[in-house]
Amino acid sequence: MSEERKTPFLQLVFDDFILLLFIGVAVYAVSYLIWGLMELAWIPPIPDEIKQSLLGR
Amino acid sequence: MAVAVHEGEKWFRTCDVTGFKVDIRAEKIAKVNAVMAVVSFLIAVVAALLLVLTRWQLFHLLPVDWYYRVLTLHGLDALVFWIIFFELAALVFGSTAFLNTRMSSPFAGWLGTGLAILGWLLVNYTILTGNADVLMTSYAPLKAHPLFYLGMILFAVGALVIVTVFFANLMIWRRENPGQSLPLFVYGLMAAAIIAVITIVSGAIIYIPTFLWSLGIISDIDPAVYKLIWWGLGHPSQQINVAAHVSVWYLLAFLTVGGTSINEKVSRFAFVLYIIAINVASAHHLLVDPAVSPVWKVWNTSYVMYLAVFASMIHAFAVPSAIEVAQRRRGFTKGLFEWLKAAPWGNPAFSGLMLSMIIFGFIGGITGVVNGMEQTNIIVHNTISVPGHFKGAVVGGTALAFMSVTYYLIPLLFRKKIAFYGVSKFVPWLFGIGVAILAVSMYILGAFGVPRRHWDITFSGGPFTFTFNPVTDFFWALFGIGGILAVVGALIWILQVVVSVFFGKPFNGPQDLQIPIAEPPPPPKKGEHEGFAAPGTFVLVLLFMVAFIIFVALNYGWLSAMWEVK
Amino acid sequence: MAILPPGENWFHQKVAKDEKIWMGLAFVMSLFLFFWMIIWHVYAKQNPSFVTYKTTPEEFYQLTQAFIEKYKIGEENGIPVVKPPPGSDVFLLGRQFRWEPVLVLKKGEEYRFHISSLDVLHGFSIQPVNMNFMVFPKYDYVLTFRPTSAGEYAIVCNEFCGIGHHMMIGKIIVEE
Repeated sequence: MSEERKTPFLQLVFDDFILLLFIGVAVYAVSYLIWGLMELAWIPPIPDEIKQSLLGR
Repeated sequence: MAVAVHEGEKWFRTCDVTGFKVDIRAEKIAKVNAVMAVVSFLIAVVAALLLVLTRWQLFHLLPVDWYYRVLTLHGLDALVFWIIFFELAALVFGSTAFLNTRMSSPFAGWLGTGLAILGWLLVNYTILTGNADVLMTSYAPLKAHPLFYLGMILFAVGALVIVTVFFANLMIWRRENPGQSLPLFVYGLMAAAIIAVITIVSGAIIYIPTFLWSLGIISDIDPAVYKLIWWGLGHPSQQINVAAHVSVWYLLAFLTVGGTSINEKVSRFAFVLYIIAINVASAHHLLVDPAVSPVWKVWNTSYVMYLAVFASMIHAFAVPSAIEVAQRRRGFTKGLFEWLKAAPWGNPAFSGLMLSMIIFGFIGGITGVVNGMEQTNIIVHNTISVPGHFKGAVVGGTALAFMSVTYYLIPLLFRKKIAFYGVSKFVPWLFGIGVAILAVSMYILGAFGVPRRHWDITFSGGPFTFTFNPVTDFFWALFGIGGILAVVGALIWILQVVVSVFFGKPFNGPQDLQIPIAEPPPPPKKGEHEGFAAPGTFVLVLLFMVAFIIFVALNYGWLSAMWEVK
Repeated sequence: MAILPPGENWFHQKVAKDEKIWMGLAFVMSLFLFFWMIIWHVYAKQNPSFVTYKTTPEEFYQLTQAFIEKYKIGEENGIPVVKPPPGSDVFLLGRQFRWEPVLVLKKGEEYRFHISSLDVLHGFSIQPVNMNFMVFPKYDYVLTFRPTSAGEYAIVCNEFCGIGHHMMIGKIIVEE
């Protein structure tokens, strides 16, 4: 590796607060919010067998 | 709006202690936010006293409606307003004075501050008039007055405006200093600001429909959707604190002993891990809820494989090792702990820093991990252990760190001498020990099943009754004593701040400095970097690790004795 | 220095030996905690359920009433007492400010609890075993319990549900 003045890539990432803002929001939005809301949307109703066994219909 | 900035522009003053260029317009905004923080803290502390004396069944002070009202007030003023106002002050001041740069838009700064104060007024007003007895979480379908939600929205928008100003200030700094990296303190604030964006946007997403629902425009709010998004506000708002108070720890390590992170890359890496992973831990609050799947729970509750816990453990080494290395360079090299013994314990900012780290790590941190694990949450959820945990994390950790750094802000930001400086050195101990006793006793009470947010655990008026293990009486007494000690400590601190800021003697320069600012330590001697840099700290963090493992093991062992459930 | 930009070469500075060891330990601990949760989830007997159904307060009320009618053996303080057979579906309804019905269970047998609320959020806390779950309106949380000890147990509501929150206490009797 040459000892040039070139800034390492990771240092650029560490210093780029706008990129970090984007990453932070994205991880949260996808992993917590969107995934969570999708799971809420997928919940099934109470199965009919259970209802029938009690209500006899 | 200002364009080009030259040295000596009229909005700058030069600090005669630090040599920093301070934008006076930013300073004023920071001052107002700091004052709002202290006012909120005062409300929270008075409320805390009333709550302690109500839950301690021996006094059972407040009637039922006022208990929940004051609890709502305490929750919001302590967990939201006091710390967020303080953080807004830190963001404004940190992004200008610490960078020798100017305020990008004083107008936006005042606008944000004004909106936040208006929101604060509405929220406190609706609570005190009995229109919002919904507790801090205000879980729908419990309904408050529309002005309560409007207040929360205005506060969130105001805070968001200031966070935006913060980023604009950083951009100006970057343009003026191309290729440079931020100072570590500001870097930590930047992490806090990013977490704040997530918090505030989540708050807006959930409070706007809830506001419309309270007006009758929307007919229904799904309770599970509400709870999921609300915790996107509720939990990250406390992670702002973690990032902010860790930054304050680094700052205090520097101001009190001249300590510098022994490896800036490692410290910054830990802040980056916070930014990436800490926010999803909102899932801590949904572990025993219906609805979300175990895969979602385990992934999110673990901060994506415990990256944020990893980051906190990195800071747990980095901050004390900064202190240790600085002290060793001064010649306190005997044995493992001479550096610690010879530290400036008489400086309230130093003792406050140490207590804040110990309480945050050993009480707030360890209990937080156990509370947030998918299974052990079953034996913790909604018991009084939960507030016990965050008394350790937020009160012992964040509040104490902020209180400690305020001893520097009074002379340097407010330009006033500290009133009754002599008592300062007792304040962190009184407050810290009080909070530690309070937090530990609450955690133990929760282990006996005592619920949080409960006016009467003798269940008077209920169809059945239940008596908690009589041992709890002892811990209730401890709870009361710890609570009162902490309240007294906080009140002394508030009195000092108010008297100094509003009636204090002016601070005219370095000769008036009561609280010492450490000289930087001598440069490293040759050979220092071979071997262990901070052996004393290493022993301390190992001790922490052992405590951590024991606590996790105990909780899982206990859980395995419960009824079976799947 | 926390208040000044770091030195030019901050990114290339070597990490001290003790800090490196500590970071290694901390990382291993973090991974351990993560995989521990998964292992416990697969092999151990105490895990929060993930079976949930959508429902409505009306539907759930109807089901609970039918359940009570089917297995009712008496009444205590105005609340029906119900003794469902082992292995059955059990319906428990939370509302401001009571739990319905009182349940009589048999030690060591499995029961599929369906828990929901008629109005706001409630907390389902079995004391003194100290197991805690959340109860939502519109969601039927299915928790399969096997009581491993006999005696009288209280169901404390531990999520704030209104002014009478402290009166909301129910009962489970576990027989040998």
